[in-house]
Amino acid sequence: MIPMKRWMVVVALVALAGPAAVSAGSPPPASLPGQYKYPTVRKVNNKPLPEGEKAGSSMAPFSAGDCAFCHQSNDPKNPGPVKKEGNALCYSCHEEFQEIMARRYKHPPSVTACCNCHNPHNAKEKKLLHEEQTAQCFDCHKQIKSIAETSTVKHGALTTERKCANCHNPHGANIEKLLTALPFDQCVGCHAVDDMKDWNGVTLTNFKKLLEENKVWHKPVQSKDCSACHRTHGGNNFRLLVAEYPAQFYAPYDLKAYALCYGCHNEKVVSAEQTTTLTNFRDGSRNLHYLHVHKTERGRTCRACHEVHAAKQAFRIRESVPYGSAGWQLKINFTKTPTGGTCTKTCHETKTYVNKPLSAQNAK
Amino acid sequence: MTRRRAAMWVLGTLLYLAIWPLAGFAFAAVGVGDVLENAELPLLGGGSKNTFLSSKSLANVFVFFRPHQDHSMDTLRALASCDQEFNGKPVHWVAIVSGSFPVDDVKAAVSETGIKMPVLVDEDDALYRRLGVRLHPTVGVTNEKFQLVAYEPFHEINYCDRIRGKIRYALHEIGEAEVDKVDNPQRALMPNQVKGAVANRHVKMGEMYIGMKQPEKAAAEARQILAEDPRFAPAHMLLGDALAAQGHCDEAQASYGTAQQIDPSLAAAVQEKRHACGAH
Repeated sequence: MIPMKRWMVVVALVALAGPAAVSAGSPPPASLPGQYKYPTVRKVNNKPLPEGEKAGSSMAPFSAGDCAFCHQSNDPKNPGPVKKEGNALCYSCHEEFQEIMARRYKHPPSVTACCNCHNPHNAKEKKLLHEEQTAQCFDCHKQIKSIAETSTVKHGALTTERKCANCHNPHGANIEKLLTALPFDQCVGCHAVDDMKDWNGVTLTNFKKLLEENKVWHKPVQSKDCSACHRTHGGNNFRLLVAEYPAQFYAPYDLKAYALCYGCHNEKVVSAEQTTTLTNFRDGSRNLHYLHVHKTERGRTCRACHEVHAAKQAFRIRESVPYGSAGWQLKINFTKTPTGGTCTKTCHETKTYVNKPLSAQNAK
Repeated sequence: MTRRRAAMWVLGTLLYLAIWPLAGFAFAAVGVGDVLENAELPLLGGGSKNTFLSSKSLANVFVFFRPHQDHSMDTLRALASCDQEFNGKPVHWVAIVSGSFPVDDVKAAVSETGIKMPVLVDEDDALYRRLGVRLHPTVGVTNEKFQLVAYEPFHEINYCDRIRGKIRYALHEIGEAEVDKVDNPQRALMPNQVKGAVANRHVKMGEMYIGMKQPEKAAAEARQILAEDPRFAPAHMLLGDALAAQGHCDEAQASYGTAQQIDPSLAAAVQEKRHACGAH
């Protein structure tokens, strides 16, 4: 029989190891998911800039006149062939690419040849790029170029600081679309100040602060997936929303106007007058979403009652709503109850709804 | 509290952490960790009824979708290729659609996505009600005990990766820590942001200079790195090599000594280089 102490140690070790202790096999090799639809070889000039042209960046051995770093000969007029073929030559000094090119998602042109984007000698642009960075990306990614240029709502991230490289790593990344980090980390990384304005001069939310102060987050926010609702390259809906959503507080109910929400939520949650399954915001079977929203005049949009990104209370119910033009806030005073909820002295007199019998609640 | 009782508490907590499935989101009526009751549903287009969970599989994957919805269609398309990784493994896949949609609409949508998994129809939405399905698409994953280990509503980014991670968890191929790595991938640093990348490039240049019999340039590279980062051991090694190549053995020995002091794992290499320089 195993002594008690030894038995406890064994159990503890198994517990600590968890499911990994029974792990079977190694993970499958990383691959290039999907079919790449862009060219992987670009027509570029990899010769040094003509004499007299000012370079914005130079390869160190080239500027030192040490051709033999890469070529067979050190004679600048006749350097001969390169010592290694393809990217292997670059990686012999740029060893960090062992890790970079082992990432799950790779940029096929960079796998094919570093020289697709970088001149190995010198260039007018920074980082030895053949062209200005955005122009170079758009040379292949024409659809993104079109979105960026023709969208009525723009995103400053495309044109400021590191431009495309603000969000994408053009070599390799661990996230789809070669994102350097998950959308939430990217977005909140910038949208974390009080004075950021959109391209129209409208002050944008400080999301770091908002999310710190409000701990009930919308699921796409929780799962760091801002792209589920926002188009990052530009769009035609306000706030770069991926689909239509009413910008105003009151709007006549129109299914199409809520395409954004119904991308995930069931539209019947608003269109069904009676339900016992679609929502818990119901009094018996009377659907209170229908009651509030499904109106031809003064229909409340989702934001009349729900905060979109984060709130302090369950279901992301707002604490108050703007009332009148003087900036006064009308409290909603929502309280969740064991059998439903209540809104006290708010847009209407106190009203309580019951979505489950008290006996069922007690039985739990 | 006695020591024995305290130990039992610790053990209990550890066991709970080890067997409790991944924390996360939930259907409206069941959450991650709950054991699901199986149900028989008819196949799309008729035929015999099928259970949405299989007792013969280690992992059950079910996706609730609806036709005429972009996210649902994108997800089914993605799953059509996502599931190939699990060919031959005990994974049971089904797609589930509410019976409220016209069969022909569903058939057309399914055919367009290219999925091969069976499509089951929840005729009177009984399963929808039982689980509390509110969002589309939603992917659920259970382990062999029908315990829900993942609830994944739509994600625009890395959806397949997330689902794959949860399936591999249900298959006991990876543990919680690895699932967390899949859900929260490491930031992809730019080349110059990778720790030591720039300094290492200078070291490589220096080594090339030594190979090209230009040790003075190699020494300059080393000194340039050390001006930025005096504790970069490879630069001290390079400086040692450059000095040794110039016949300055005493100074080279000092550089090797500093390198070893900073990084004791260089001891063997330093010993070899010291010997080589001493032999000059």
